[in-house]
Amino acid sequence: MQKKNPVSVSDAQKFDIVRREAIYTGLALVGLIIFWLIAGFATASLDVKFFHLPLWAILGTIGVWSVAIIISAVLSKVLFRDIDLGGEDND
Amino acid sequence: MTETGNLSALLPLILFMFVMVGISIFVRNRQAGKNFVSSYFVGNRELGGFVLAMTTVATYSSVSSFVGGPGMAYQVGFGWIYMAVVQVTAIFLVLGIFGKRVALLARKLNAVTVVDIIRARFQSDFLAAIAAFVIVLFFCGTMTAQFVGGAKLFAAVTGYSYESGLFLFGLVVVIYTSIGGFRAVALTDTCCALIMMIGIVLLLHYVLEAGGGYDNIMTTLETNNPELFEPFSFGNMPWTIYFTQWLLVGICTIALPQSVVRGISYKNTQGLHQAMLIGTIVVGFMNIGINFTGILAHGVLTGTAADYGGVDNIIPTTIVKAMPPELVGLAIIGPLAASISTISGLLIVASSAIVKDVYLHYAQKNNRTVTPNKVKFLSMTTTAIIGATVFVIALTPPSLIWLINMFAFGGLETAFFWTLLLGLFWRGANKMGAMLSMTGGTIIYCATQAAGFKILNLHQITIGITCSLILFLIGSYFGKKSDDETLQMFFPEKTSERN
Repeated sequence: MQKKNPVSVSDAQKFDIVRREAIYTGLALVGLIIFWLIAGFATASLDVKFFHLPLWAILGTIGVWSVAIIISAVLSKVLFRDIDLGGEDND
Repeated sequence: MTETGNLSALLPLILFMFVMVGISIFVRNRQAGKNFVSSYFVGNRELGGFVLAMTTVATYSSVSSFVGGPGMAYQVGFGWIYMAVVQVTAIFLVLGIFGKRVALLARKLNAVTVVDIIRARFQSDFLAAIAAFVIVLFFCGTMTAQFVGGAKLFAAVTGYSYESGLFLFGLVVVIYTSIGGFRAVALTDTCCALIMMIGIVLLLHYVLEAGGGYDNIMTTLETNNPELFEPFSFGNMPWTIYFTQWLLVGICTIALPQSVVRGISYKNTQGLHQAMLIGTIVVGFMNIGINFTGILAHGVLTGTAADYGGVDNIIPTTIVKAMPPELVGLAIIGPLAASISTISGLLIVASSAIVKDVYLHYAQKNNRTVTPNKVKFLSMTTTAIIGATVFVIALTPPSLIWLINMFAFGGLETAFFWTLLLGLFWRGANKMGAMLSMTGGTIIYCATQAAGFKILNLHQITIGITCSLILFLIGSYFGKKSDDETLQMFFPEKTSERN
């Protein structure tokens, strides 16, 4: 998805965008917690190993990390919008 | 110095410390002529994405992440990494939830601290003063733990005394933070985060080499330590630890003032978006990397953690045994960097709580003029005094230092979680709710800690955060609603919907 330039929107619209982004982040957290539960505890009974590591240990560590990276990428590159923060310090 | 130690381990450390002070002096000169308060306490809101990510991660990752954590992984196994990996949420959560809102508000209010925002939201100097007090109090506990942890590691690895380590890195961190302020803290944090990652890679390499390779270490572990491969570690990792860690080092960390203040300090939203991604990558790499190294340390050490004096001694002993003496200095820069980056991050926020949130606010309120030079002098002196005070406490370290660290973490979260989350996202939040939540929640949390009272054997953060929420809701229900002007300032989107 093409990155948008900072949008010129009203103060109210900026806060509305920010509120929605916070909700997306909260939902992403819920998704990650569910993945974490399934990746670790739900697969712990499986007798599957890769590189001497049980599947739950791989999914529950590197898997969770990978999903967190994907979540961060989706949030920051797809769902979040660039906005002008205002004030003299902004670009 | 009459004591004997590993001089080759000391030289890289001294060089590193010189670089830190050099950065600080460079930053100080670059900031000359700019608004001192803004540049000293939030780096003039100039942080880019990479530095924002690194400073947030470095402040968040403490010496216990590099010493106690991997020591526990050595003892418990992969369950510990499974638990520690919840920290990958820390960066995208704090920046995603608070990052932009705090940045917008800070610019509207001309705020440079989290307390400034709390004061404006709840229109209460008293609440702001309590927030500043809570910050200074709990930060002192956390900083002491960092000083002690770093100095003990230094002593164990280099052979020099605990006090020498404390003088070397303790004084340096106080000096460079006092001189350079937030911008110096952010840049040195970035160096520290990079050094931490290099340190992890170095240590992992030498641990694998000393243990005869990955296959050899893991095959031995599968035979001799099957508990390491089970999520509950045959009872060593109860579900209560998983649950409370999600709160303590995961979800509730979004409200830590030292993390939220990063939202005031960045330049633009592109930087924030970059930081969310970079920070999540880095914090995961560090967490998994160092804890996995802790498990692999079984290839170097053959006994139990108790045989080496406890979990805190696993990583120092591994460094000494696995690494060539000439590289030991490089290896401990990583954990020490974690220690000093946390101290510097806390020190500057604690200093701002006293100078900006208390002194300058009351001077302004009483129409007293404070000259820029006086502000500069007071800011630097206050930073130095807080640092020196914690330094002196660390000279005679309390025995339960790691508990104090976690206690402080939970206290800050209890005090600020609902105040910030509900205060910034709920119009119905008001002064009475915030006051009850912050004071009542913190007092209840401290009292349950002091009494050792637990419910279902869960850490007291669960009691603190629950009581804090209940008190917030009760106060908001019975208290006077926030005035329209404040609501318009903090929730323009809702106000426009209603009009």
